[in-house]
Amino acid sequence: MRLTKAVLLSSALALTAVSGAMAQNVAREDTVIFDLDRTISDPENFNWFTPGTKRMHGAHQTMWEPLFILNYGSGEVEPWLATGFEANEANDVFTISLRDGVAWSDGEAFNADDVLFTVEMALGNEELSSREAATIRAQVASVTKIDDLTVEFTLNAPNPRFIVENFGVRIFGSFLIMPEHVWAGQDPATFTFFPPIGTGPYTYTSSATNRAIWDRNDDWWGAQTGFMDLPAPQRVVFLETGGEESRAQLMVTNQLDAAQNVTIGTFEAMQAQNPAVIAWYEDYPFAAADPCARQLEINTTVAPWDSAEMRRAVAHIIDRSQIVNVAYEGTTTASTTMFADYGSMAPFVDAIVEAGYGLPERADVDAAQALIEGEGWTRNGDYYEKDGERLAVEIHVNSASTEYTRTIDVIVEQLQRAGIDARSVPVENGVFWGEVLPFGAYEMSYSWLSCGSVNEPWASMGRYTVADVVPVGERSPGFNNTSRWDGAGAEAYSAIVDDIGNRALGDPEIPALVAEAYQYLDAEVPFIPLVQAAKLLPFNETYWTGWPTNENYYNHPFFWWNHTHQIIHNLEKVE
Amino acid sequence: MTDQQSQAHAGEAQTAQADMSGVTEKQMRRMRRFDNPWRNPKLMWGVGILLGIVAMGILGRIFWDPDLVFVGSAMPRQAPYGFENLRGQEGLLAHPLGTDGSGRDMLAAIIIGAPNSLFVGLLASLVGMSVGIVLGFTAGFVRGRTDDVIRVLSDVMITIPPLLILVVFQAAYGDVTLTMMALLIACFVWQSPTRLIRAQVLSMRESGYVQMARLSGASTSHIMFREMLPNLVPYLFGSFIANVTTSIVTAVGLEVLGLGPQRIPTLGRTIYEAINAGALIQNLWWWWGLPTLLLAVMFIGLLLINLGLDEVSNPRLRKL
Repeated sequence: MRLTKAVLLSSALALTAVSGAMAQNVAREDTVIFDLDRTISDPENFNWFTPGTKRMHGAHQTMWEPLFILNYGSGEVEPWLATGFEANEANDVFTISLRDGVAWSDGEAFNADDVLFTVEMALGNEELSSREAATIRAQVASVTKIDDLTVEFTLNAPNPRFIVENFGVRIFGSFLIMPEHVWAGQDPATFTFFPPIGTGPYTYTSSATNRAIWDRNDDWWGAQTGFMDLPAPQRVVFLETGGEESRAQLMVTNQLDAAQNVTIGTFEAMQAQNPAVIAWYEDYPFAAADPCARQLEINTTVAPWDSAEMRRAVAHIIDRSQIVNVAYEGTTTASTTMFADYGSMAPFVDAIVEAGYGLPERADVDAAQALIEGEGWTRNGDYYEKDGERLAVEIHVNSASTEYTRTIDVIVEQLQRAGIDARSVPVENGVFWGEVLPFGAYEMSYSWLSCGSVNEPWASMGRYTVADVVPVGERSPGFNNTSRWDGAGAEAYSAIVDDIGNRALGDPEIPALVAEAYQYLDAEVPFIPLVQAAKLLPFNETYWTGWPTNENYYNHPFFWWNHTHQIIHNLEKVE
Repeated sequence: MTDQQSQAHAGEAQTAQADMSGVTEKQMRRMRRFDNPWRNPKLMWGVGILLGIVAMGILGRIFWDPDLVFVGSAMPRQAPYGFENLRGQEGLLAHPLGTDGSGRDMLAAIIIGAPNSLFVGLLASLVGMSVGIVLGFTAGFVRGRTDDVIRVLSDVMITIPPLLILVVFQAAYGDVTLTMMALLIACFVWQSPTRLIRAQVLSMRESGYVQMARLSGASTSHIMFREMLPNLVPYLFGSFIANVTTSIVTAVGLEVLGLGPQRIPTLGRTIYEAINAGALIQNLWWWWGLPTLLLAVMFIGLLLINLGLDEVSNPRLRKL
């Protein structure tokens, strides 16, 4: 009898423990499911300072909040965990005021000590290789606490863009503040920060290589202090869908609420089968302009592409209008410069075009072949040869999206027809960003590494200065100058770009300086701008409305960015 | 061969009366045809289908522009002639089988792709069989230590799933050529012929004519390849064709995963690109349907050859 009781009791206890460990069920109509375009290789590691998928699987969309969020529609920097900032006259001392009443999900208060701790950790640890940590290290000389809610940053050099660049979610992420009471005493390079905590309205529930689940914390500080209402979804799921076909089928059957980029044909088919599927524009071209213009990256240390003439030849071979028509099916436009064609960038784009460095839409294969022949190559049959060696190139491409592989297929064909034996080397997303690009382990590659400028030119141009040149095999700081572009031209370019960086925003001389610096990019071609990026992101209105669109432009729709907090707060349940 | 012909006659005797009285004219014609067992209708149909695919590859290159197989040759997503795509655009005669999502002409893709897929299968099987024949005969005839080594090696290799190794290998090396892929597959198709040939040789080496040859002082290689091999020919062909099928399935499996040659069109790669670009949901049936259909035809051809060869080597299977 006693034994039976003991068995019953222990099994009851075990059952309670198991059901406690398993998350409670949340109804589909209370759940919002986002698409994840990559595998989470290390699902129980939340140290976002180190490489890997540590943020965009929901961590920085639901759990970790930024200090500010740049609103792409208005151009305003909207405060979030901070309430505002002040800069001195010289733009080299910034004071950030933090919001009162912010708390970590474990109840500890979020304050200046956390900011100080996290920034000093980034300053003191070269191993923290994420772009945001590298930028802080490059810019910040020291950081001090004024009081519990005020922090002062002293910079190495004047930088009027300091706040938006580091804390404002200008591109993808922001420098995220970590809880001092959890991280203190840990080795920041190896600490896994599991289970993670944050200040956001959602807490970590579970994760696996193909998904991450986040559940609403009804005690969120924002609702208690009146900063904002609790968001409507009780659960947020980031799910790896893998490929356009499955993405589309999940959207059509309402098993997905927001999908990653699809081709226009697929989008039309989805909409035909499920009228609740919408996109940024109601009509053609549907897609939203992405600030990261696409380009062909070139490793300038590998022969024969270490010759500027050869790189210019490749630039002449590229036919941008064919990329637009075939790979993008007319949903985007050809790039004329390295910059995103946003209205706010027009003065700089115009200055470059006026100076004669604008890029053509069509190819000039004859000019390219003259350049190649000038370098001593002779055409033998289909391909150029020199000293018995064939002119060949391997182009590494991230296989995560049809957009990437299709663009490279087009470029491979263009190079092949011009006499260069090009071939594409598709690699997995993690390998591409983790091993190929940062270490210069490629000849050419398809990416968007001059991404950065949205309303001023320095953020993009400053990524190709000689200060960031490292040898092949070493990690490029923050993916800057992965081309390893060096030499007299690069130095002259860097000097002008540094000058631009030190000037205040809106200085009337900047467009002329941009054009002056651009002559070196034009002559030496460390990368080849291709087309503007457009993302066709299908949203599903079956369960949730309030998605960002051109009519409802509270911010852009790129839901893998740190600003997605705004999207989730804007969602309304369909009754 | 004389052995088999006498067997063939024995087979006829079972089905017809001894005095041939109950045999119709039609059956007589078929019987006469069976005097030469190689003139088997299944075999001929199968060979015809495969030759048709090869002929399509050769004639297609003459009468159609093979350069249309590359990206950006035409407007993408056009329907075959006589059909409409989702946007209501009529298919054009310029691209009678339509185009894919990157503007490749489907007719050109099939003209170039189908013989490529067949080529990989044939080459892989040829190499695998050659290795299998040499090893199988050596093991069965020489026996002893050599036999042990070969047997253990093939037994171990047969347990390794080829697709697993090939996926890892090709993912690491990225782009490979067709020949390279065929040779890689060949590494995994020699074991079963080795084992089967070894078994056949073991039983055959005790037969009278081999003993006779040995007593006459014939060399080992003479006995193996001149005396025994001809008796195994129909069987070897059957095994060869089965291997071609396996090799094509393996190659297509790799291609559908996006591995294998990147720029050289194959049927498997065309299917991969179709799946990857959402061709099913967009109802671009010609993109994934045509290569699938062609693969099915190819497999039916191989199956017919295999059935035919079975009947050649085993007269009991022949029907009047």
